[in-house]
Amino acid sequence: MTREDVLADIRGRFGADIVELFDKSPKRVYVEIRPQAIVRIGTHLFRTLGARFNIASGTDMKDWIEILYHFTIEDLNLLISLRVRLDPGHPEIDSLARDIEALNWIERELTELLGITFTGHPDPRRLLLADNWPEGVYPLRRDYVEWDGTADRTRGV
Amino acid sequence: MSLKLKALLKSPWVFHLSTGSCNNCDIETLDCLTPRFDIERFGMLLAGSIKHADVLLVTGSCNRMSVERLKTLWEQVPKPCLVVAIGTCAGSRGLFIDSYNCPHPLDSIIPVNVYIPGCPPKPEAIMAGVVQLIQKVGGA
Repeated sequence: MTREDVLADIRGRFGADIVELFDKSPKRVYVEIRPQAIVRIGTHLFRTLGARFNIASGTDMKDWIEILYHFTIEDLNLLISLRVRLDPGHPEIDSLARDIEALNWIERELTELLGITFTGHPDPRRLLLADNWPEGVYPLRRDYVEWDGTADRTRGV
Repeated sequence: MSLKLKALLKSPWVFHLSTGSCNNCDIETLDCLTPRFDIERFGMLLAGSIKHADVLLVTGSCNRMSVERLKTLWEQVPKPCLVVAIGTCAGSRGLFIDSYNCPHPLDSIIPVNVYIPGCPPKPEAIMAGVVQLIQKVGGA
C-alpha cells in the first residue's frame, strides 16, 4: 500500500468523521476527526493499516483541549496524527486502551494531568501524581493555580 | 572531631540516590567510579544498601513522589552521615523551581553538607566537591 492509497482509504472510509486532513509533508499528516470516531479510526489504523501506536499528547489550547494520537506506518515512513478537540468544560472521549494496550498508561497520564475522562478505560487508577494530590486539580491546565500552601518557590540563597 | 567521623572519612562509602533527575548527574556520578576517574583510590566505595552508607549523594529536584523515599532513606542511614547535593537541581531545583511537582528544595528536607553545581557537574567537579567535604569536616 502506498502513501496515497492509505490517505485515500482513510478519506473514503471515514469521510463523514474527518473534519480536516492536513497533508503537511511527505512524512507527516494531521487528521482532525470528530471525537466520537476515535475508536473506529484508531483501531482501523492499528489493525488494518498496520500502523504502530507511538504516543498520545494532550494540550490545553485555552478554547479547547486537544489530543493528538500519533500513529506511524513504518513501511511508508509516515506519521499520522489524529487530532481531536474536546470541550474544556467536560473533556470526555472514548478510551482506546481497550483495543490498543499501549494506550493504557498514556490515557491515565492524560486523565491526571489534563483532567480528560476516558470512558471505558480498563484500569483508571492514579499513575503519576503523589497520593496526597487533591482530586480535581490538573497541573497542565492553563487555569492551574498552586494548591500547596507550604511550597517554597525561592532559590534559598 | 569525633572518632566515628574520623573513621568514616578514611573510607567513606557512598550511596547514590536520584530524586527525579534527568539521569545526567547520575551518569556523571557513576563515571567517577570507572577506572578513568576511580574514586576508589580515595577509599570511596559505592554501597549497595543505605544501611552501609556514610555519604549520601543526592541528584535531582526532589519531586513529591521521591521526597517520601528520601525521608525513609534518611531515617535508615546510620549517623553521622554526610550529604552531597550533586547538580543544579539538587542544589536549587534549577529550572524546575516553579514546577507543580517540586515544592521543596533538598536542603529544606535533609541537611546538606556540600553543593556541587553544574548541569551536569563533571566527574572532576564531583571529586573536588568530595575532597572539599572531607577537608570541611576535618579529615586529612
